[in-house]
Formats: sequence, C-alpha cells, structure tokens
Amino acid sequence: MIHHVMGVDGTYPLLVAIWLLPLAGAILCWAFGPRLGKLAGPLGSAAVGIAFVLTVLSWGAGTQTAGGALGAHQSLISWLPGFDLGLLLDPLSLLWTAIICGVGFLIHVYSIGYMAGDRAFARFFAYLNFFVFAMLTLVLSDNFVGLLVGWGLVGLASYFLIGFWFEKPSAVAAARKAFVLNVVGDVGIMFAVFAVAALAGSVAFGDVFAKSGGFGTPALLAICVALFIGAAAKSAQIPLHTWLPDAMEGPTPVSALIHAATMVTAGVYLIARCAPLWSKSPDAQLLVGAIGGLTALVGAILGTAQWDIKRILAYSTMSQIGYMIMGVGVGAYEGGVAHFFTHAFFKAQLFLGSGLVIHALGDEQDVRKMGGLRKKLPFAFVAMVTGVLAICGIPGFSGFFSKDRVIQGALEHGHPWLYAVGILTAGITAYYMCRMLFVAFLGDYRGDVDPSDLGMRHPELAGTPFAADGHDEGGHHEHAPAWYMNVPVGLLVVPTVLAGWLMFGGENSPWSRFFAGQFPHATLPAAAIPELATTGIVLAVVLAGIAVAYARYATVTATSGAVARLRDESIRMPAVLTNLFYFDAAIDLLFVRPAQLLGTIFGRLLDPHVIDGGVRDVAAAARWLGALARSFQTGLLRAYALFIVFGALAFIAYYALAGGAR
Amino acid sequence: MLDVAITNYVALSATIFFIGVAGVLLRRNPLIMLMSIELMWNAANLLFLAFSRMWTNDAGHVFAFLVITVAAAEAAIGLAIVVIVFRNAQNVDVDEVASLRG
Repeated sequence: MIHHVMGVDGTYPLLVAIWLLPLAGAILCWAFGPRLGKLAGPLGSAAVGIAFVLTVLSWGAGTQTAGGALGAHQSLISWLPGFDLGLLLDPLSLLWTAIICGVGFLIHVYSIGYMAGDRAFARFFAYLNFFVFAMLTLVLSDNFVGLLVGWGLVGLASYFLIGFWFEKPSAVAAARKAFVLNVVGDVGIMFAVFAVAALAGSVAFGDVFAKSGGFGTPALLAICVALFIGAAAKSAQIPLHTWLPDAMEGPTPVSALIHAATMVTAGVYLIARCAPLWSKSPDAQLLVGAIGGLTALVGAILGTAQWDIKRILAYSTMSQIGYMIMGVGVGAYEGGVAHFFTHAFFKAQLFLGSGLVIHALGDEQDVRKMGGLRKKLPFAFVAMVTGVLAICGIPGFSGFFSKDRVIQGALEHGHPWLYAVGILTAGITAYYMCRMLFVAFLGDYRGDVDPSDLGMRHPELAGTPFAADGHDEGGHHEHAPAWYMNVPVGLLVVPTVLAGWLMFGGENSPWSRFFAGQFPHATLPAAAIPELATTGIVLAVVLAGIAVAYARYATVTATSGAVARLRDESIRMPAVLTNLFYFDAAIDLLFVRPAQLLGTIFGRLLDPHVIDGGVRDVAAAARWLGALARSFQTGLLRAYALFIVFGALAFIAYYALAGGAR
Repeated sequence: MLDVAITNYVALSATIFFIGVAGVLLRRNPLIMLMSIELMWNAANLLFLAFSRMWTNDAGHVFAFLVITVAAAEAAIGLAIVVIVFRNAQNVDVDEVASLRG
C-alpha cells in the first residue's frame, strides 16, 4: 500500500480531495440546481460516496505511526507567522470522517427518495453536501482555528437545513433558535482559541497539547470550560439543549444526518480531541462528566413524555450524547467515542426508519395516530426493532458494548454517582424506546380515530390532521417507499447489529488497538464492581424497563383499549414533563426577557431620544434658522432697499467710531 | 471759483443723497425710484469734484466720469426691467411685484 508512506512528511493530497469533494458537490448543486433537476441527488450522493471510498483508502495512512507522529498530515496555508493551518488524519478524525461520509452517503441516497417531488430538491442536496464539507473541516483540521471555522460552518449548515421548509414559521423559528444557541457555543470556543494562542503561541493541536503542561491549573480549567460551552451547545447538553427537539422541524434525513449521527457529536469529538487538556484538569472532567450524566438522565425522562416520533428520537439523541459526553468527560475516551460510533449507526437507522413511517403516512409524526404499523410497514418495523434493540443495549447488538464501556468507564475513573445515573438512564431508555415501538407498531391502526379521542390537544393538530405544513406540492398522500429509501436502511442494519463486536475483548479488542496511541492513558485502580457484574446490572435494569413498557403498551388488554389509554396518558401527563422541565421558560426568563428589556430600553428611550433625538434636533435647528432667514425675504423691493440703507449706515457708523478711536 | 468752504459742499451733497434715499424708500413708482438713484449718484459726483478741487488732484474728475458711465448703464438696465415688468404685470407698482417672497 503506497498510502502507508504518504502523509508522513506533511503532504497527503488525498486528504484535500476528501475534504473538498463535498464542497464541489455543494457548489455544483447550488449553481446549477434548476438545470440539474433530478440529477442533483445522484451527484450530491456521489460526491460524498467518493469521499467515503477515499477515506477507506486512507485507512493505512491515518493509523500509521511512522515518523514519530500519529496519522497523516497535510499542510495548507501559513495563516500568520507561526500559525500554520493544515489537515490531520489520525485514528480519531479517521473514525469521524468515515462515519460522516459513510452514514452521510447512505442518508444522501435515502434523501433521493424522501425528498423526491420537493420543489427545492437540488437546494437540499447542496445544503447536505455543504454540511458534510463543514463537518469535515471541523474534524480534519489540525488546529483550533480550522476547528472553529468548521464549528461555525456546521452551525450555518444546520440553520439552512432545519429551516429548509422556510414557508413553515415553526421551522424558521427552530432554525433561528438552533443558530443562536450554537453561536453561544462558538463564542465559548473562540475564547478558548484566544487563550490557547496566547499561552502556547500556536493553535496547532500538537503544539498546544505538548505545551499544555505549563498552562497552570486555573488556565486549563478556563480553557476546558470555554471549550465545553461550545461542546454543550453543539451537542445539546443541559442547559443549551433546547434547540435539538425543535430542530426536528427539518426534513427527516436532516434529523438523521445532522441531529443524530454527526453534527451533535461534534462536542464529543472536541473533548476527545482535547483529551490531553482534559486529562490534566480533574475539575473540568468532573464538570463535564456530571453535565453529561445529567443530560443523559433528563433527556431520557423527557423522552418518556413525547408523542411525536421524531421528538422521542430527538430526546433519545440528547440522552445518548449525554452518555458520550459523560464518557469522554470522565476520561473514558475510548468508551465515549465507541458510543458515538455505534450511536451513529443505530440512531441513523431509527431516524431513517421513522422517516419511512412518516413518508408512508403522509407526514404524520404523532405515534398516537399510528398503531398497527407492524403489518402495514413490515420493513420499517424490522428496521425500528433492530434500532431499538441496539439503543436499549440488548446483548449482541451494538449499543450493548459501547454503553457498558461508558458506564463501566465512569466507575473506573472514580465517579460512582455517574455510574448509577448511567444504569438508571439505561432502564429509562429501554422503557421509552419500547413505548414508541409498541405504540406505533402494535395494536390497530388509529389514523382514522378522531384526534381529540386520543387526547391530542395541540391547537395545531386538534381536529385538523395533516394540516401542519405544506412543503409537498403533490399534497399529503401516502407513498410507497422507493427502493433507494429501503436500501440505506437495510445497509444500516448490519452495523447497527454488528458494530459493537469491534469493542469485544477489552484491551485487546480491535477498537482499543485502533486507538492505541491516540488518548492519554491513566493507570486506574481496579473498579469495585467488575465489568461482567456491571453488564449484568445494566441488563437487568434494561429488561425491567422493557417489561414496564410491555405491560403498559403491548399486552392484549393494553392494545385493545389503546385509544382510551393514550387519551388518559395524554391528559394526565404531569405539567413538569409537558413543559420539558421548564428549560425553555427558564432560558426565556433569564436571557430572552432581559435581552428584550434591553431592546425595549434602547428602542423606546435611547434610540428615539438620544440618537434619533440628536439628529432631529439638528434638523429642527436648521429649519428654525431657515425660517429666520426667510422672514427677511419679503419680496418687497423697498424693504430690500431699506436693508441696504441700514447696512450702509452700519458701515458708516463702524468706520466713524473706529476711525475716531484710531 | 469762489472760495466756498468744503463743509458746504459736503452738506449739500448729503442733503441731495438723503433726498435720493427717501425717494427710493418712499415712492412706489419705479421711474421715480430710478430718478432718486440718479440723485444719489450725483451727490457722490459732487463730493468727488469738491474734494478733487480741495486737494488739487484730478483723479476725482476721472471718478466722476466713471460714475456717470455706470449710472447710464444702470439707468438703461433699470428702464429695461421696468418695461418688462409693465408688460407682464400691466402696472408698475413695485409693491405688487413681490413674487420672490420667501
């Protein structure tokens, strides 16, 4: 393999090709969209597909250790003296690139079917390709500046895609919300970049990590916290998570690609990338681990109270990313990244499966209006079942291996509380995912039941099903899923089931060998509870969660009286859950209202009275002067003559008096 | 010439001049106003000649000729304006011609 020797000396052109291919696709779809028509889909997919093939070809280069440095490196430009920007492909960025391009490619292909008939078909693929490019910028950069640029571009791409159906006001609001919350994170990272550049005199990862030992504890903690603000915003961690459920306003493939598989895991990437910083700051580890655990728990609890199939998946995403953040936060980097890897597959699987359902039912997303889909949509059912089994952590499925790694990792790194939270969350996860599965797929179809009988009180939905949006020009008819929608889902089943086996075997697993040399290793005392026992405990809790869901939604009595049951549950939902733990209200009270108050002060007082007032006063003075001068212009010839006489007399008087004095 | 004190010339000149000023300010007929302006020109000429004589400097004579020339030109333009105003307004009352009022 020639690639084994390429990239050691700082030139690896293939990396540039991987990086720029999606951008080329985006520009082509953007510029020639109307002329490309249906071709935009295959074109956009091909750009990402080729990038994926090139990534696979680069596997050897990315994992090499020749020349003392890990992976392949490509210099791009010298930004400022001493600040060189370039691309880096090491195991961590290789993994992310492979997922972004691989899962991204499948989702592109799926979108050809899902978005067929949308009037902005080419624009959609331009945005998707642009997103892939932005994400590759983020993960392939070898320095903090490139990472920040990618970070911002990803936020922009997300804004475009959430607001893709911009004639829906709710989609526009969701896009704006996501963008604003992401910018909060961007600012955090920006400050981290400033601090790093000031302390290390460089922004390249290698230089910064090599010098990070000399930063001092407070500075390290500050940098980590600033970076984590960015990670929390992008990865939907409490309290910056509220944009993620709203982001489900975008088309379902977007939810699968951006808000499940790739973008929201950027925070996990950031912390894993900056592992040398985190490993030196136990306080930052505790903070990030605790917030990750809290997010996992809160996301799972909120997931139990949702009815919209995509919002259930959104909260499960938030919760699973909480796991990842908890893992990389406490120092179990391999575990956290492992959960990213398996989650990318099974969550894309779940979203695309839900997309099949939504597409087939003519944009119905409320699980109460579903039911009995097992017989109607057997393929979607199988897809969803594998996804649910994987996310629950049933032995043999991918989520089982990675989740246990995170939970055990929390214990090994000395956080028994996070260990307990992780186990509890696993049980709740099993409950709400099975709840979604049972309600949507078992029993009888409820699409023709009056919504109010199901307890649907939402003003937008009550009594007017299918009236929420109007993006599909062809109207809301039921579609048969095209083969290019089914094939990506079918292909995703394989890694959804099998990906976890890469992590089987502890230290000697392919997974651990892949990441040898990537993360700092701490020597840890043996955990109080051995890994096998943890697996048993988690499994017992998960099975308990499934059992509760089964008893409530899947037994014969439950499915036969489903309508009344769902109505009861909808109406009796505790207010604290329907209000999503009041996070939105709190953010509204703490940030939005003060900002609006400030706006009001500026708008009502400062602007009209000081700024506008000043301008108006100048104008009024000019008008007054004009009126004064005008009053002399009588138009009467004799008046002018009189003024001339007065003027002449004044001159004479002046010279007579002044001349006398002289 | 008789020896007349210079103060008499100055007093006569001032008298003629203020008669002219009063004519311009008080009369509404533009022809009378033009004649009043002529009075002021000639008051000035009288002073030029008187001081020219007093200082035995002939420059005053030159200035008087210059003033006569300018006065002739002024009268020509003034009369032309009066004719045009009359054609347009059918009267020559200067108070009626006030369309430049701001």
